[in-house]
Amino acid sequence: MSEIDELVVSFIANVNINDDKTNEIAIKITNLIKHKKCKLVQIIVSLKDRFISEDEKERIKALKCLSSVLYNSEPDQLLKNDVSVIVNFYMSKITDNAVMLECFMGLNALMSMKYITIDETTKLLKFLQKDYQSKDYLAAVRNYPFEILLNVYNRWFTQLKDNKNFADLFIQTYISVASGEKDPRNLLISFQINKLIVTTFKVESFQFSQALFDILFSYFPITFKPPKDDPYRISNSDLKLALRSAISASDIFAQDAFSNLIDKLGATSPAIKNDTLLTLLACINKFGGKACIEFWLPMWTALKFEIMHGGDSSETYLDPLAENKSNDLITEGTTPQVSNLQSNYHLSLDILRALAYQLVELDESAFNKYVVHILDELKPNFEFTKDLRQSCNTLAAIGSANLITFNKVVDLALPLFLENTTEISKLKLMLLNLSYFLDSYIKVTKSLENDKEKLEDFIKNNHLNNSKDEILMILGMALTGNSKIEVTVRTLSVIQFTKMIKMEGYLTKEEMSLIIQYITETILTDNNKNIYCACLEGLKVISQTHEDLVYEVSLKELLNLLPNRFDELILYHKDDELIQVEVILKVILDFTTSRHVLIKESIVALSQKLTEVYITGDSEAVDYCFLILSTIYSLLDNNFAVLDENTVSEIKEQTEESLFSILKNNKGDNSILFDNQNLSLLSNILYFANVNFKRNQHQTELLRYTKLFVDTDKILENPSRLVLPYVKILSALDKDCKFDEASSVMERTVALIENSNKNAMTNLEKVGYMEMITILTNKWYNSNMESALIERYVNWDDQSTVNLEMIAWIGKGLIMKNSASSSIILSHFLELLNDKNIGIIVSKLFELFVVDINSMNKRKGITWTNNVKLLYKQKFFNDVFQNLVTSYKAPNLSLDIKCNYLTALSLILKHTPNKLVEQFMVDLLPMLLQALEMPNSEVRISALDTLKDTTEKFGLLITENIDTLIPLLLKLVVPGSKFNDVLVRLLSLQLLGLLATSVPLNYLKPYKEEVINGLLLTLSDKKRVVRKQCIDTRQIYFELGQVPFE
Amino acid sequence: MSDYLNENPDVIDVDELPSRKEDSNELFENFGSKEAIERKKLLLKIDHSPKSQVLHDIELLDKLLLLNNTPDLISDTESLPSENDSDTNEFQIRGSEDSNITDEYADEPADPVDVQEIYDLTAHICDPEHPLTLGQLSIVNMPDIEVHDDGNPNHLAQIVIRITPTITHCSLATLIGLGIRVRLERALPPRFRITILVKKGTHNSEQQVNKQLNDKERVAAACENEQLLGVVSKMLQTCK
Repeated sequence: MSEIDELVVSFIANVNINDDKTNEIAIKITNLIKHKKCKLVQIIVSLKDRFISEDEKERIKALKCLSSVLYNSEPDQLLKNDVSVIVNFYMSKITDNAVMLECFMGLNALMSMKYITIDETTKLLKFLQKDYQSKDYLAAVRNYPFEILLNVYNRWFTQLKDNKNFADLFIQTYISVASGEKDPRNLLISFQINKLIVTTFKVESFQFSQALFDILFSYFPITFKPPKDDPYRISNSDLKLALRSAISASDIFAQDAFSNLIDKLGATSPAIKNDTLLTLLACINKFGGKACIEFWLPMWTALKFEIMHGGDSSETYLDPLAENKSNDLITEGTTPQVSNLQSNYHLSLDILRALAYQLVELDESAFNKYVVHILDELKPNFEFTKDLRQSCNTLAAIGSANLITFNKVVDLALPLFLENTTEISKLKLMLLNLSYFLDSYIKVTKSLENDKEKLEDFIKNNHLNNSKDEILMILGMALTGNSKIEVTVRTLSVIQFTKMIKMEGYLTKEEMSLIIQYITETILTDNNKNIYCACLEGLKVISQTHEDLVYEVSLKELLNLLPNRFDELILYHKDDELIQVEVILKVILDFTTSRHVLIKESIVALSQKLTEVYITGDSEAVDYCFLILSTIYSLLDNNFAVLDENTVSEIKEQTEESLFSILKNNKGDNSILFDNQNLSLLSNILYFANVNFKRNQHQTELLRYTKLFVDTDKILENPSRLVLPYVKILSALDKDCKFDEASSVMERTVALIENSNKNAMTNLEKVGYMEMITILTNKWYNSNMESALIERYVNWDDQSTVNLEMIAWIGKGLIMKNSASSSIILSHFLELLNDKNIGIIVSKLFELFVVDINSMNKRKGITWTNNVKLLYKQKFFNDVFQNLVTSYKAPNLSLDIKCNYLTALSLILKHTPNKLVEQFMVDLLPMLLQALEMPNSEVRISALDTLKDTTEKFGLLITENIDTLIPLLLKLVVPGSKFNDVLVRLLSLQLLGLLATSVPLNYLKPYKEEVINGLLLTLSDKKRVVRKQCIDTRQIYFELGQVPFE
Repeated sequence: MSDYLNENPDVIDVDELPSRKEDSNELFENFGSKEAIERKKLLLKIDHSPKSQVLHDIELLDKLLLLNNTPDLISDTESLPSENDSDTNEFQIRGSEDSNITDEYADEPADPVDVQEIYDLTAHICDPEHPLTLGQLSIVNMPDIEVHDDGNPNHLAQIVIRITPTITHCSLATLIGLGIRVRLERALPPRFRITILVKKGTHNSEQQVNKQLNDKERVAAACENEQLLGVVSKMLQTCK
């Protein structure tokens, strides 16, 4: 046997058994032919017997072998003679229904060969047109005629264009092949070929347009739910889009498409309507104005109903399969498509707009007819104030096509409603109506974005310009001329003002300034929530495009309004309007969000204001200073991510001097330095000014600050409040800076703390020095020096509170960087919990390890400040939790000691994210339940807090313990019992309420009466908050299991 | 109930109902030092977000300062007087003889049950035929509520509410009254006696309605009726 024979035999053996293998063999054979090692004839010869075999299967296999070889051959591999012979061979076999698939496969391959002749092609097409009955075959077979057509099209493209007969044959063949097709994969190709035909052979296909259109429209509206494991991954929207683009492919369909689609608009299903509208829109845009002239009237009549009466349907309703699809996509790991579904209402408006555009492009008089007709129909609505929203929306949509349509609509529609009126209800309607035309303006400018010339033309020549002054006046009157009770009108006015600023090129700078001024004044003097939000939104939106203007007109004004000295926290503005300082600061805080110029200017100006207030103010000014400091701090903290290095550096350069002058100039009792909160805020502000400061300057800054605080102010010789700013600055600076004095600073700090009894150190100072120890430990003691550090400063013999506390702070510094040495301190602390005398002190210190100090937190993009490991809390919790639980369960523990463990645990839990706690829940829950009985309200509160989270997340676990939990909680709600303070009672009540949502009804129902009666005493609680919660919780239990009434 | 008896009642916006002004402060009443609380109140005026970092920092500093003081200082008592306290009740409460009550609780100032509280309990009940609350429809009004309470848990207290039906022949006045009664009886301790009346001259059959509203037997019977209770529950759903 020759090599060819072997391969052929093994191919035949593998057919329908191992498709990969057969393919591989086919490629091998093809390669042999390609390299002239054998001839195609040889294959045919070796298959000869099988071709004429009686056995159907044999024939199929043989043909498949030949077809596969052809399929893998290059188009120019076969010579003219070969092609002709093989085509004839296949054509002779094609009457054999059993082998149709393989025949088509081979012929398909042949159709794209270089040496195929037009005659042979014609022969095949004729066969397909006349003798091929598509409905006799399976979808897989039916696929080939489409493929063949596509190949013919690609191979004979130029001939088809030149030869009308050939083209006619091609089209007729397509019509015959495509009729009655149902398989989605074949439909996709069918639609594609249909589109090719009508776009490339427009003239030839004209006589077949009806048939071609019917082939398409018989599927409309297409719906298809892909079966599971669909090998072709065809989705409903693929089919929809293919069909839509085929229907809208050429205006030869115009007549048929428009009349049929308009019919379909009468459909009741919103999904079908949606598809119809989208297709209609595509058709209008493709077919052009000429085709539309005849049809705009019936279209308008059909759409009018949709616009006037159709509600906005929800998205899933419009495309029932959309949800499914996106889910599938996500699970398959591909990017989910963003659904672009529009409501039918908006689509209808888009169609009207498209019609306007096409008509006006074609002929202005046609457009005029269109618009005048619609306007005439809508006019009565204005008279009787009926369906105004829809009417205005319709007109505005038509206007938003281009300059001409816009002007026409403005000329016709604006006089219908635009008039100044003092009647509030009329004014309200007018403002609402106007809004659509302003939107229309914005839409036109957006569509002209890429065409500067046309855009300028529009801005200059649009007719809305003529009414500008009138609109401004009416809006201004609506805002300022009405009493404050008219919330709706005033809010609308602010919204329209904002919109006008968004309209590109419409307003002059002066007009915008005026509007900003209006809005600024309104936001300050009106305390209605809606108006406040509208104004805030307005200012924010305007800042996006006109930041400088907002700064000049609004922010500067706000800052100027802030008093330079303190009298009262209320200012008098013009016209006797009261403005509170708090309101101004709130506005500044709210609207500057993420505009870095505004933030910077606010911070700088507020710092200057602070200095002035500080210099002139008296002791009353402390609260005012506090407010300003809080605002600066919040501005820095909230906008940390937007403030880049340059901005921060500018802020620092412009404010530092004045801030320091406040620190240094401490006179009398109004000093910021002597107010704990103010000093702390100011120190934190200094932290923000340094943390993002130019990093290459940090070394210089470190030296400078150290000189200033340590050498000049001598904060390490005697206790000084200035340690707070110093420690915050230290924590902001780069940890890679060389800090030679670190160990001496540490030494002296520790000495100061040790002597705190003698040197009259205040609590605030102590906090500062303690934090200093943490920062130094964390940043400037590397792992080699840690053991030396512990040896030097950690002294377990001294059990004074101060010493223990200091050790805890050292521990905090180590724990944050996941240092191995931290375990020494931790294990010692855990042991001390068991100590009768100091256990209670130690238990409270556990909170220090995990408490979040803002200046020590990790921030996105900042890597150089402190050594804070991302998961340090998780590690810490893992380390400590088991130990605490085991120790707690030890036999013969006194209640006091148990309480220590619980206190420590609950304090840690307070600062640990719940996610970390979840895995320990099974062990934790019994402890929490016991904690509820501990004679300490802090412990109870913390346990209740954790239980509340647990209830929300682990309903099952709680359900198991419901019989212990409910009686316990009912004890905790009793007013006047020891350790049941307000928060305990309140949280217990909230937890009881929560149980009703997370515990299954059948478990909870038995407790219904018990809870309702158990809460009776609490109804007379002294505290109103508790009573309120008690009533709410009780109500929940009253309704438990009650049949809802509908 | 497709046909409304009164299609177009005057409606008051929810925001404009009378309410207790200092509610937000109650959040921190028992937490931290006096200075910190004052500051927090001040801060709330410029920043309402509960996640505010400044607020967090103030609490933190307060905590650290207290930690430093003496470990036991985190007190269990609510040392701060709330603003709406009246002094009148304190004497009687201290005089109460319940031995279970701790000294701290006894010393604690009380928030008395006042007209506003009763108003808040009832004004948010939903009208049975409009999707609006009794407060919005001005069926319940502050001036028409009387509270007679000396604060002593051993004494009886009385509450009188006069409701104003939206129209004089309102057939649902009794249902509204029942809703109010159920709400108050669930919300107030048993020592409170509740009287619900129709405001003089606002209903055609005033006497009859008043009698129905305060007839114990009738009320009890109504509450046994599952369906009626369902309607009342639905009315109470909007309460906050």
